Amino acid sequence: MTQLLSSQGVDITQRNFQQIIIRGDGKDQFNQMINREISALPPSKNLEVIINDKFMFAKNSFDQWSLIYLVEQSYKEVLNFISEVNSKDDILASDYSYGQVYFEISGKNRNEFLNKLTHFDLRLKKFPAFSMAQTLIAKIDCSIYNLKDKYIVTCNRSFEDYFKERLKDTLNI
Amino acid sequence: MSAADNKKSHYINDKEISFKFDGKKYLGYKGDTIASALLRNNVRLVARSFKYHRPRGLYTCGIEEPNGIVQILNEHNEPNTRATVKQIYEGIRVNSQNRWPSLNLDVGSINNLLSPMFSAGFYYKTFMGPKGFWKKVYEPIIRRTAGLGKPPKEFRSKSVHQNHNVDIVIVGGGLSGLIAARKLIDTEYDVLLLEQDSFLGGILKNSNKIKKINNSEVNKWIKETEKLLKASKNIKILKNSLVTSYNFTNHLIALEDKCAGKEIDKEKSELTLHKIRTTQTILANGHIERFISFRNNDLPGVMLASSFEKYIHRFGVVPETNPVIFTNNSTTATLLKSLIELGHKPAAYVDARDKNKIGAKFLNYLKKNDIPFYINSEVEGCDGNKKINTISIRKNKNKIIKVKSSMLCVSGGINPDIHLFTQSKGLVKWDDKLLTFKPDVPFQNTITLGSVSGNYNYEKTIDEIDNKLSFLKAKKIRFNVELNDTNNFNIKELWETKHEKKSNWSKSFIDLHNDVTTKDLKQAVKEGFDRIEHLKRFTTNSMGTDQGKISSINSLGIVSKILKKKISEVGTTTYRPPYAPLSFSAIAGRNTYEFYDPQRKTPIHYWHIDNKAVFEDVGQWKRPWYFKKFEMETMHLAVQRESAQTRKTAGILDGSTLGKIEIKGKDALEFMNLMYTNAFTKMKPMTSRYALMLGEDGMIKDDGIVCKFNDKHFIATTTSGGAPKVLADMEEYLQTEWPHLQVYVNSITEQFSTFNISGPKSREIVSKVFTDVDFSNENFPFMTFKVFDYKETKVRIMRASFTGELGYEIYITPNHALDLWKKIFHYGKAYDLVPYGTETMHLLRAEKGYVVIGQETDGTVTPIDLNFNWMIGKNKKDFIGKRSLTRRDTSREDRKQLVGIVPLDKSEFIEEGQHVVECERLPKPIKTPVEYLGHVSSSYHSPNLNHCIAMAMLKGGNKLMGRKLFVSSTYGNKNIPVEVVSPVFIDPENKRLIS
Repeated sequence: MTQLLSSQGVDITQRNFQQIIIRGDGKDQFNQMINREISALPPSKNLEVIINDKFMFAKNSFDQWSLIYLVEQSYKEVLNFISEVNSKDDILASDYSYGQVYFEISGKNRNEFLNKLTHFDLRLKKFPAFSMAQTLIAKIDCSIYNLKDKYIVTCNRSFEDYFKERLKDTLNI
Repeated sequence: MSAADNKKSHYINDKEISFKFDGKKYLGYKGDTIASALLRNNVRLVARSFKYHRPRGLYTCGIEEPNGIVQILNEHNEPNTRATVKQIYEGIRVNSQNRWPSLNLDVGSINNLLSPMFSAGFYYKTFMGPKGFWKKVYEPIIRRTAGLGKPPKEFRSKSVHQNHNVDIVIVGGGLSGLIAARKLIDTEYDVLLLEQDSFLGGILKNSNKIKKINNSEVNKWIKETEKLLKASKNIKILKNSLVTSYNFTNHLIALEDKCAGKEIDKEKSELTLHKIRTTQTILANGHIERFISFRNNDLPGVMLASSFEKYIHRFGVVPETNPVIFTNNSTTATLLKSLIELGHKPAAYVDARDKNKIGAKFLNYLKKNDIPFYINSEVEGCDGNKKINTISIRKNKNKIIKVKSSMLCVSGGINPDIHLFTQSKGLVKWDDKLLTFKPDVPFQNTITLGSVSGNYNYEKTIDEIDNKLSFLKAKKIRFNVELNDTNNFNIKELWETKHEKKSNWSKSFIDLHNDVTTKDLKQAVKEGFDRIEHLKRFTTNSMGTDQGKISSINSLGIVSKILKKKISEVGTTTYRPPYAPLSFSAIAGRNTYEFYDPQRKTPIHYWHIDNKAVFEDVGQWKRPWYFKKFEMETMHLAVQRESAQTRKTAGILDGSTLGKIEIKGKDALEFMNLMYTNAFTKMKPMTSRYALMLGEDGMIKDDGIVCKFNDKHFIATTTSGGAPKVLADMEEYLQTEWPHLQVYVNSITEQFSTFNISGPKSREIVSKVFTDVDFSNENFPFMTFKVFDYKETKVRIMRASFTGELGYEIYITPNHALDLWKKIFHYGKAYDLVPYGTETMHLLRAEKGYVVIGQETDGTVTPIDLNFNWMIGKNKKDFIGKRSLTRRDTSREDRKQLVGIVPLDKSEFIEEGQHVVECERLPKPIKTPVEYLGHVSSSYHSPNLNHCIAMAMLKGGNKLMGRKLFVSSTYGNKNIPVEVVSPVFIDPENKRLIS
């Protein structure tokens, strides 16, 4: 965890999470398979996010889920989980652990700050707590998770330097 | 006669501020615009006109100003700033524009003497000859003299963008806007109130037309309203924010000046470009007064009456204590009363209306105050040198009398400010009573309130707002007004007064900004430009940066008279965004320089920098182009060195940018067979295959290597730039064409760093890095792959090559990538392992005859054109593009086909992109077409063959093998003789590849 910025009612921290993208049909067999491995059912509502002490589980689209470990796991265990899931023909799990970067954005002015970089409607009535979205932030594809008092924003690792510079610039100018 | 202060104005701070105009120091007050401060100092001449360089003064008091456009020297030389909007601050330095050597003595004013030559359509009719003069003489002169201000010398990023999502936007914080906002306080709606001025109030502060609201002083009501709005939880106010565009889907753009009235902070942004998405838009942006055309209506001292009134009340400056007022409508009554209440006496009051329209009450008021007034009269013209001296008034029966005054306040009526409404594609209609266009049918969720809707009656404002906002859950509020004057707007049609021709240089202007005269309009109509849109372009009327805000309706009036049509039949031109000019840097925001385009970096990026990589942009990726061994090493030398070393021992490329897609599902095999031309059914597990993807037209779209784990699981690579498109296409086909297939695809481009190590020593190097792996030919043959444990992750290694040498592609998770890269170099040092960039990659693949999608192909090339017939699964039932490959055109034998070419003289170099022809020398001049056989798609100097090699796409290329042809050159007419050969220049037997 690295504190990047804290000013003008906005706090930004870079986090190191591990992530798995899971594709499947979301039906009983799929749910049972996931439940067996992590003792939690995948969220069923589109764009819904469920969260506990260990991980955040989001339904990105009708057939895609993101499992983000908030507490670092043994990487071997993560890969084993992926192998286990992939042993089922009708599910695809892909490791995203170190190919993404994660930013936690909090503070009372976080919406106004982010709206300097994205047109996305962050108002609670349009983007409720514990929901997620995939949108453009600073001209790049990002996922944003609304965890009520903060957002987690993720993007491809290759954009890390660019994205951090944009965050800094936006807060400072 | 000069300017005076109005001490009763509450909106100007008493703090004195010094500023410079054309190098001369003046004093103004905090809150003054450049214009109000100059008027306070009796400066009337502020500009020279665009075309004729005629002396010009301030005409208005706002964004509609056509004359007072200045350059701000201490703000990076910001040109074309409206003096009527820009506020002064201590030390601001302002210059007039479009004059030389000085404003007072401008050489360019010779244009005025020559003006009889510059009639409408001047540019279209002249400069036709002599031949060659346009480019060498006319254009350079016109370019030098065109424009107003001088552009800033350096670009400066000065704006940030701010997005808003709201339920309701209110444009305008005047009377109607404030009432609407008050009705929405603490409702369920998110409301954004935009006001272009530094404070709320609009008309309430610009005049004393309204005496009291709810029995309180107007100012008190404004303060109370602002306090309530600020305390509300749902309303946000943005001041100094001008709405410039109203686009589709209720998307508005507003530009906020964050430095209004203060010096800019060079470290901070000075502008914010607000991008607003709303459900409902309330336009309460008021009206704009229009002028009347008469002889010399451009002389400094002529000013719109409501602007004069605004200077008095808003800025506390009476520009002239004894002006002449000329009107055709009832709005000027309050100006007259304001002057009289301040103890000043207008030199004359000229009204085109008759006594019935003016009303007995007002006529008595004029008499009582001993004001010389002329009814049924008009101003014929005015005269003076760089300022008004005398004003000629035509009384009844053409009797001309002259009145001395230095200012003339003109009102030709008022127009609802429909620019934003029409930008939103709303329809307008002509109102015969108000003599103006007003909003009719909105195209979007747009509501117009107050004078913008054509409602000039303040007493009826609340009824209108209650009625129009009734569909919202808005509150009921108490509102009553007490007026200073009767509120029955009436007007007499008058667009231009008849003038006595004094000289060729006396002009009656219709567009002050572009120097268009009423005579130009008449001439244009005479020449056949009788459609208003044609006429506008022929004369440039209302095409200036003010978009004819004060005059465009007048031109319609004049044209309708000439054409003997109703104005509603003549129609109106289209108002386009932006409403007022905004700089490119405001539009660009922070999307400039390093933020112009996002940059992508591989996990090895900083190692590349440490090792003197020179980068090239591949899409958004920063890829090493070549590595400099020493400072003076050129790209050519570096590439020759890297290529030779790779073929001698080994080289390594950071291929992490390659697109990677994981494909899985019980129907994955069928899906892959459909997506690619290749047949994957008989392909063994844990093998890989070079694969081609076509468009439905049969043309090559992308390529890559497909790894097959089993029939249900594949990983495919794509080109670096093609990855997102290929993934999107796969998803689209799965969701739309083949929803019955049970397949999922994930992008894993970022999940794996990729290193391509190749060269005769590559096996030895990787064997030392991965000591547990048997890399022998028997155990690890060409086009197979294996997955191994490496530290706590897994690594996938594929035996493949894009150089023609023995090679391996290593895929590893990014957290271990740099460590592994360094380890490879550690063990590679003994073999002089060299890092190479994309240029060397291109050279090496060209030596081997491998194609690059986007270089040899251009969207018109089929696999057959590249002799890739072997890649087409002919027994497959279907794949994308299959049917197109059997079309007559795609199977033509004379299509452009891939060949190799080498110069006959091995010392010569062939350039990429040059034409291949049959003739040795091009005729000069070329009179008949020279047959074009094709073009050179790739060309390099091969260090391994020590001569130039090239690939070309030639018509019927396969049949041209061994033929002598010629390649054009940028040097002279002589073409380079070449021989058509096979495109595989090195190791055609693949001995190195499978060694």
